[in-house]
Amino acid sequence: MSQLRHTHENKVLELFDHLDAPTRPQTPEEVRLRQLIAQHGSPLLVMDAERLRQQYRQLKAALPGVDLFYAVKALPDADAIRILTGQGAGLDLATAGEVDMARSAGVSPRRTIHTHPIKKDSEIKAALRFGTTTFVVDNWNELKKFRAYRNRVGLLLRVRFQSPDAVVDLSRKFGCDPHEAIELMRRAVHEGIRIKGLSFHVGSQSGRSDTHVHAIETAVALINQAHREGLGHLKVLDIGGGFPVDYQHKAIDINAFCAPIRNALISVPSWVRVIAEPGRYLVAPAVTAVATVVGKAERDDRPWYYLDDGVYGSYSGQMFDHADYPVETFREGNERESVLAGPTCDSIDIVKDAITLPELEIGDLIVGRQMGAYTAATATDFNALPRARMVLINDVAEQPSDLVKLAEA
Amino acid sequence: MSDTLPEIDTSSAEAVTSRFRYEETLYDAWGQAFDVDEIFFEHKTDHQHLVIFQNALFGRVMALDGVIQTTEADEFVYHEMLTHVPILAHGHAKSVLIIGGGDGGILREVSRHASVEKITMVEIDAAVVDMSKQYLPNHSNGAFDDPRLNLVIADGADFVANAEAAQFDVIISDSTDPIGPGEVLFTQDFYAQAKRLLRPGGVMVTQNGVAFMQLDEVRTTARRMSRLYNDATFYSAAVPTYVGGVMTFAWSTDNVDLKCVDLDTLQSRFAAAQIETRYYNPAVHAASFALPEYIRQAAAEASA
Repeated sequence: MSQLRHTHENKVLELFDHLDAPTRPQTPEEVRLRQLIAQHGSPLLVMDAERLRQQYRQLKAALPGVDLFYAVKALPDADAIRILTGQGAGLDLATAGEVDMARSAGVSPRRTIHTHPIKKDSEIKAALRFGTTTFVVDNWNELKKFRAYRNRVGLLLRVRFQSPDAVVDLSRKFGCDPHEAIELMRRAVHEGIRIKGLSFHVGSQSGRSDTHVHAIETAVALINQAHREGLGHLKVLDIGGGFPVDYQHKAIDINAFCAPIRNALISVPSWVRVIAEPGRYLVAPAVTAVATVVGKAERDDRPWYYLDDGVYGSYSGQMFDHADYPVETFREGNERESVLAGPTCDSIDIVKDAITLPELEIGDLIVGRQMGAYTAATATDFNALPRARMVLINDVAEQPSDLVKLAEA
Repeated sequence: MSDTLPEIDTSSAEAVTSRFRYEETLYDAWGQAFDVDEIFFEHKTDHQHLVIFQNALFGRVMALDGVIQTTEADEFVYHEMLTHVPILAHGHAKSVLIIGGGDGGILREVSRHASVEKITMVEIDAAVVDMSKQYLPNHSNGAFDDPRLNLVIADGADFVANAEAAQFDVIISDSTDPIGPGEVLFTQDFYAQAKRLLRPGGVMVTQNGVAFMQLDEVRTTARRMSRLYNDATFYSAAVPTYVGGVMTFAWSTDNVDLKCVDLDTLQSRFAAAQIETRYYNPAVHAASFALPEYIRQAAAEASA
C-alpha cells in the first residue's frame, strides 16, 4: 500500500491483513459488522433504528396514556431524536445545546420540556427563545429566577423520593422534600408564578417500581392538597425515568415492571396529564459497540487484549454511569481469564479486568451490548483519539431490509 | 389508568406547529395560532428558525422562533405609531436613525416625511433586508431605494457605541423581544450610547412589548431610561397580532414638552406632511400618551 494513501480506511484494511479469517466461519452478524467497519472504520457504535422504535412502542404499551419525552442527554444524536419524535415522543431537554438539537430536528417546542432543576438565566432565555415554556424548579432561589418570565412559563416542582436500590441515585442532588412543596407553591402563588405540575425522578436502573409507586401516591396527595388549599390545578405529573434495561442478562419485563405504576396512576385526578422522561430504556438496547483488538500481550499469566475503544470513549459509562456492559466476541475456543484494555495511555482505561475469553487475535472484533445510553454521550477526546463513529442501520421501516439484523441483546 | 382519564395523544401536540398550523410559543398557558396556507420562506439553523407564510386573515406573516414578528394586515399600526409620533412631535426632524427594522416598515413610514433629509438605518443582518424585499415587499414598498437612505449593516449596539455624537433628531429602535436576538438593544449601555447620538431636544422611541403580558419590560425600561432622560415614559397602541392588550413604546427625551404638543400644532404638522395613514392621526397621537393605570403605576414605581 502506498505510503501517500495511508488514510484511516487503509489502516483498517491493513489491520485485516493479519487475519486468519477465511478459515473460521462467521455469523451473519459478524459478517455485517465487518462490512460496516470496512466501510466506516473502527471503532463503531451501530444504532438499530428498528430497535429504537420497538423500545418506544414497548414502553408506550406498558404505560398507556402516559406521554413520553425522550431524555436527550442519554444519547444526544440527531437520528435518535428524529426516529423517536417520529414515533410520537416529545423531548426532555436540559441545556441550551440540547435545545439547539431540538430546533435542528424541527421538533415543535410545544413537544419539549426543560427539566434541569438548576439553570443559568442564559439557559432559561435560550429555551424560551426556542419556545420551550415548561421548566423544572426545586427551590426558592430557582423559583425566583422566573419572576421576569412569570407569564411565559409553567413550572414543574421537582419532589424527591429516595430509591433504596437505584444504581444511580438522583434524589441526593435534586428535588425538594414533599413537605417543602406546598410552601414553595404558596410562595409561587404569591409571586404570580404558575406551578402547573409536579415531577420526580426516582433514579436510574432501579430493579423494582416500588419507588415510582410511592412517589406517585405522594404526588397525588400533594396534588389534592394543593387543590384543596386553593393553590391551583397541578395539571401535569412527570413520573421521570428510571425504566431499567438489562445490562447483565437478567431478563427485565418492562410490562411487569410498569404494572404497579399503571395501577398507581389510577388514583391520579382526571385533569392531570401524566408524562415520563425515559432515556436509557429507549436508547440503550438500540446501540451495539464494535471495537477491534489492536494489540495483545501476556502479563502476569493473563492475556491482555488492547482495543481501539475504551473507558475514555464509548465505554465511558463504566466510569460515569456505573454501567457494566455485556461484552462478547465471535471467536470460540478454550477460555481463560483475560483483560480487555482501552487505547489510551492511562492505566485506568480497562474495559474488562477479569473476563473469560477464548484466545483472541489482532483484528478480532469485541462487541458491547446495550451501549446506547450514557456511552457516546459522555465519551471524551483524551489522547486526541477519535470517538467511535455512530452508524445507523434499519432506518427504513415497514419494508424488507437486506440488512442483517444484529443479534438481540 | 382509569377510564375517566382521556388518552392524550402526543401526535396532537405535533399538529399545533406544522406545515398547516403555526402556534406562537410565547406563553405556556395561552397563545395564538395561525392557519398556514402556504410557506414562502423558511430558514432554520441550530440557533434560529425564521418562517414567512400566508394566512387567510393576516396576509403574509413573518415569525421568528415561535414569535410573530409582523403581518401584512396589521403592520400599519405598529409602523405608523413608532414613526409618526416622534417625528411629528419633534416637528423639524431632519436626521432620523432606525435601529433594526430590517423588514423596511419603519423606513417606509419615515421616508414619507419629505422634511426628513437623512435616514440612517442599522440592521444587523443583510439577509433580513433581502428576504423582506422579496417576500414582504409591501413592508418597504420601495423605500430601500430612497436616496436619503444610508443603510448600514452592523450590530446596532456597536453602531451607537462608535458613531459620531449629536447627529440625530429622532432615533427609532425597532427590535425583536428582549428574550431573543434583540436583547442588547434593551440594555442600559445601549440606551446611554444612543442618547449620545441625539441632538439637543431629540427623542428616542423603542418597541417595548405588550405590557399586560410583560409588565417587567415596562419596569426595566422605565428604570433605565429615567436615569438618562428628563422625560422617560410610554405611549401605546393596540397591534392585533401582538396579543395580550396594548403594546407600549418607550419615549425618552430631555424635552419634557415633546409629549404634550398641542392638538392644533399636531394637526397642522400632519396636514403639512401630507401623509395618509390608517391608524395614526393627531388625536390618537395625543391620546396614546394616556396610559392605563397598571402601566402608569408600574412605570412610575420603577422610575421613582
